[in-house]
Amino acid sequence: MSRFEPSRRGFLAGMGALGAGVALGGCATATTPSGGAAQKGGAVTLQSDLSSPLAEKAMKSLVAAYNKQSTYTVKLNTVAATTYQPLLPTYLTSANPPDIYTWYAGSDANHYSARGLLLDVSKVWSSLGNYPTALKTLSTDASGKQIFVPTDYYWWGVFYRKSQFKKWGLSEPTTWAEFLKVCQTIKAKGVIPIGLGAGTGTAWVASAWFDYFDIRINGAEYHRGLLAGQHKFTDPQVVKVFDAWKQVLPYFDPNGTAVSWQEASNQLLQGETGMLLTGTFFADAVPAGSLDDLDFFKFPVLDPSVPDVEEAPTDGLFASSHTGNSAAVMDFMSWMTTPTAQNMWTQTSSGTVIPANPQATSPATPLVQKGKAMLAAAADLTQFFNRDSTDALQNTADTALVDFIQNPGRLDSILSTWQSQAEKVWNS
Amino acid sequence: MSVASTQAHPAGAATAGGLGVRGSRGPRRDRRFKPFGPSPLLIAFVVVPLLIESVAVFWPAIQGVYISLTHWNGVNPPTFAGLDNYRRMFDDPVFRKALENTAIWLVLFGTVSAAGGLGCAMFLQRERRGIAVYRAALFLPVVFSLTATALMWQTLYQPRGLANGLLSAIGLGSWQHAWLADPRTALYAQILPALWREIGYVMVLYLAGLKGIDPALHEAAKVDGASAWQQFRNVTLPQLRSVNAVVLSVIVIDSLRSFDVVWSLTQGGPYNSSQLLSTYMYQTAFVNTDFGYGCALAVVIFVLAFGVIVSYLIRAFKETD
Repeated sequence: MSRFEPSRRGFLAGMGALGAGVALGGCATATTPSGGAAQKGGAVTLQSDLSSPLAEKAMKSLVAAYNKQSTYTVKLNTVAATTYQPLLPTYLTSANPPDIYTWYAGSDANHYSARGLLLDVSKVWSSLGNYPTALKTLSTDASGKQIFVPTDYYWWGVFYRKSQFKKWGLSEPTTWAEFLKVCQTIKAKGVIPIGLGAGTGTAWVASAWFDYFDIRINGAEYHRGLLAGQHKFTDPQVVKVFDAWKQVLPYFDPNGTAVSWQEASNQLLQGETGMLLTGTFFADAVPAGSLDDLDFFKFPVLDPSVPDVEEAPTDGLFASSHTGNSAAVMDFMSWMTTPTAQNMWTQTSSGTVIPANPQATSPATPLVQKGKAMLAAAADLTQFFNRDSTDALQNTADTALVDFIQNPGRLDSILSTWQSQAEKVWNS
Repeated sequence: MSVASTQAHPAGAATAGGLGVRGSRGPRRDRRFKPFGPSPLLIAFVVVPLLIESVAVFWPAIQGVYISLTHWNGVNPPTFAGLDNYRRMFDDPVFRKALENTAIWLVLFGTVSAAGGLGCAMFLQRERRGIAVYRAALFLPVVFSLTATALMWQTLYQPRGLANGLLSAIGLGSWQHAWLADPRTALYAQILPALWREIGYVMVLYLAGLKGIDPALHEAAKVDGASAWQQFRNVTLPQLRSVNAVVLSVIVIDSLRSFDVVWSLTQGGPYNSSQLLSTYMYQTAFVNTDFGYGCALAVVIFVLAFGVIVSYLIRAFKETD
């Protein structure tokens, strides 16, 4: 359920204005039935950006299952992920907005909530006593009310092939020194140690490295503050991040900024690269047989005094405060938090996500169990660069990080450019 | 017409060409000189498109200009900012790079596609057996969606793609490149797919223009002893003036709105090195949701396109007067 799904490349390029118009027309007509006061029954619209075939199918069957057992009707309106993101503000501010939206928790949701655009869903949360506190904090806005209902989350890790590691006589590294040694060994075997895939439209994957270095060296608080504009990208703390990165840069795929992320995951599967730092969504495209050979380890610890923080992007739903039928919205959202609904979701989708409700059954694969345990042990969870900030700031990161990977010697000027570009984003 | 007899029997060719011209132009002329007064139907034909145009084109365009004078993130109500967004361009290095790239694109894409299109048209204008196959082959890329085209070229440009494979096969392995990831080659590597498409389109425009030239002019020039170059320089080119205006407009508009290829291949990267005004505008408005600055960039693109075309048209009309 990543906002940056592989399907991102399949967008209707160039049709910005046209696409906007068409999609807007679609949503305007789709919302007409939602007008009218809160009553028992009635229809609401669910605006979904889960447009990859697998996810769309899973969402369709979920909505069908809900409609079967409810007096309310939910209408699913799936919009291509790349069109959805720029249009979300337009949806929310339109006179007759769609009611419910798939989106992610964190900075973006708070931003809309601060402008009074999101429905207070604290009522849904009153029945979610069993949800982890971390998820509740994540779903709470600055004024203290809940505005988001998480449905599932996933994790990031350094993925590798078990058979390859066995062949090379390697075990999972936990410290930075061990990690560097693993890199050396793989390189000595004539294989590229670390794949990247920050080319052609997927430059954002490079920020996973930035995020992890920053939370391992400077901690989650500093990281969030940095992305919020409280610190500077030219700070010595940030320079330290890049100093660590420089140590592994020689082990990166020299074509890392040329090949796309999809290509990079293929390289890992074909044994052309040894390791890949990625989110579990990459398992969507893995042939069923190869999944068993895959394993991951936690991003190595650089400073033992910094508590372990992991990236755990959380997906879910929020709703428009201008909905005409908040009873139906709440009812659907509550239903989506039930183990029944969440089991349906994890079974029909790729099966590498963890349901938000602890009572729901996570997929029993060793991979998911290991991921769940890693997140449970973490001191704090971050989302991802763009989720903890904005897509606009993500752009500045893409520019800076790809530049750094190609020209590590120009770090100073890259960081000062990054800072000035980021300031424009923060001040706009 | 299937025999290569155009030169040997100019009279025959003239008849054929003449027929062609009459066939395509006749009906239009008839309509223009219909002697009726403005019937309700005629008024409807004018008013309805005007209304649609106003709602769908003029109004959003005016609104775009207004938004360019505001700060607007799509969520808060826009706040009036005067010329702030335009002033911001002056110290925006990405804007400067995008402007520079757009200029390079305009010049390279423009000259090569005009010259290439005219060249192909000259080469393929004579009716020979199977010539239609060649014309169709050159025109075929126009049919593909540019996004699909871009995906195809992306595979060619992959570090282990066909382009690099070809280079190493002919012994130029050292020229191998990550074409789209290297800021020195990214822009030029993307002009190629755009050209691949545009040349076929321009060729068709010029083919139509060449068909419209009265063969008697060439015949007369030849009788006067003009060389092939002189015929081209003094007969063909001046006769193509009206087509040139169309081609120029098409090229300028197409290069300023060149977006699909770049957005699909690099999204303006690596680190903004292949950013065009169009991609920068899209990124600013629809990714960064900074609609004020995005609209200001759109206005600049509009002014540039409009300026180039209008100045050309004015000059062209002056010459005909």
